[in-house]
Amino acid sequence: MTTPLLEIRDLSARYGHVEALKPTSLTVAEGELVTILGPNGAGKSTLLRAVTRLTPGPGAILFKGRDVSALPTHKLSELGIILVQEGRGLFGDMSVRENLVLGAYNAGGDTAEIAARMEKVFSLFPRLKERLDQKAALMSGGEQQMLAIGRAMMAGPKLLMLDEPSLGLAPRVAGEILETLGELNRQGLGILLVEQKAPLALRLARRVYVLSLGRIVAELPSHEIKSHHDLARYYLH
Amino acid sequence: MIDVVQLAQNLINGVGLGLIYGLIGIGFCVIYNASGIVNFGQGVFVMLGGMICATFLAHAGLPIWLAALVTVPVVALIGVAMEVAIVRPMWKRGASIFAIILATLACQMLIEQVTLLGLGDQPRTFDSFTPGGPLMVGGVALPYQFFWVLGCGALMVAGLWAFFTRTRSGRALRACSQNAEAAALLGVPVRRMMMLSFALSAGLGAVAGILITPSQITAYNIGTPFGVNGFIAAIIGGFGSAAGAVTGGILLGVFQALAIALLGASFKNVAALSVLLVVLLVFPQGILAQIKTLRSSRR
Ligand SMILES: Nc1ncnc2c1ncn2[C@@H]1O[C@H](COP(=O)(O)OP(=O)(O)O)[C@@H](O)[C@H]1O
Ligand SMILES: [Mg+2]
Repeated sequence: MTTPLLEIRDLSARYGHVEALKPTSLTVAEGELVTILGPNGAGKSTLLRAVTRLTPGPGAILFKGRDVSALPTHKLSELGIILVQEGRGLFGDMSVRENLVLGAYNAGGDTAEIAARMEKVFSLFPRLKERLDQKAALMSGGEQQMLAIGRAMMAGPKLLMLDEPSLGLAPRVAGEILETLGELNRQGLGILLVEQKAPLALRLARRVYVLSLGRIVAELPSHEIKSHHDLARYYLH
Repeated sequence: MIDVVQLAQNLINGVGLGLIYGLIGIGFCVIYNASGIVNFGQGVFVMLGGMICATFLAHAGLPIWLAALVTVPVVALIGVAMEVAIVRPMWKRGASIFAIILATLACQMLIEQVTLLGLGDQPRTFDSFTPGGPLMVGGVALPYQFFWVLGCGALMVAGLWAFFTRTRSGRALRACSQNAEAAALLGVPVRRMMMLSFALSAGLGAVAGILITPSQITAYNIGTPFGVNGFIAAIIGGFGSAAGAVTGGILLGVFQALAIALLGASFKNVAALSVLLVVLLVFPQGILAQIKTLRSSRR
């Protein structure tokens, strides 16, 4: 078996006395799109915070086989582990352009490289190009999510993690955005997608983890989940 | 009857001093925006700028430009030391923002005492950057140093603007102030940015101290009054932008000058606090924030 892109072993995290993430293990292979499903409060965001060391906790994090659990958040970002946070985490007072440029922080001051990455982002989300001087906070929810993903792409991710990117979006817009993620995955990008609502995310992923009450309660191929009803079985543990 | 020439003279002095308050105010904003900490040690950088520069001038015989050029980085390093030795360890141990703010105040007292022991309690000053003057305009004296304050002040504000909008580090610093987690997720070393914000603020304070010393005096204990006025300038300006702090500083300086001219020197502090209270009552977000809101609501 080849080395997975991301492997976590017995990773856990707590807020004070609450262990929001019980020791958890999972893998994402190179070029794979994996979905984590789970109800509100299951610990999905905590899992992503633990992986990016925003909320560090015990356990191993292997990136391309190397244990990176001792690295701080910004070093993981330099390695290409990029998270699009729940709520998008945009710099609201800054323009679209500035958000994108900040995404390429790891490119140093290389303006040619930054411009090239920006062109790639525009090909994914042409709408961002028309909004370059718009203040991020003044855009629609869908545009903000495009910007959040575009900004993450500016960082040149090797593993793109997204925390409920469809949250609060009209179904059509959410669909568009998830289609784009599918396209990125077909181009070879490893993606870890966290969602609460299943249907769209299931169409993209071949493998799904179900998280409930801070632990993974199921790992299964996505075709085994046909309806929300199937999922509910796992949620009620 | 009010003497118009005297009034104009006071106003000019007020503008110069107000610009200095503005520079100190920017120092408050830079650290606050990066970390949420109000650095009550800000005034000490002003004192150190003046005192260290005066020492270089008197004992090393350096020309003023060289003394200033050496002083600013030295004070910036002291700012970094403050962040590394006091703020960061407290932050790591999960101290509350309030405790850290108190620690910065304690740090100011400590540095004042060390300065007192090392350099003594006698006030110092040094000559205006260029000899001669003042320029007389209709009976009002414009000291050459006033132009240095204006010029350097404008240069600092323009430089800061360029730094924050045009450079990678400046943008990253702003990103940290808006969303530190998101910045870290994009590879910005947030802790190092905090160090940078202390260096920048301390350097700004030092410049203010060097600029003002020829027209005033400096001594180990001038940090508090300058710090307080800089703080008020920052609040009036909305604790956000450099332009806000400078506007607030000039408003404060002019108001104080008017109070001195019309009511007497003992009303200087009353004037400062009154202008602060009035501005906060009318514009709770600071004047510039208020102007911005008005403008966007008119759109
Ligand atoms: N900052 C926090 N402090 C304390 N408890 C938290 C914090 N964030 C999340 N939690 C708790 O941890 C659990 C998991 O939360 P989270 O990871 O956000 O769930 P999800 O993303 O699956 O909705 C929840 O019970 C939540 O209340
Ligand atoms: Mg969540």
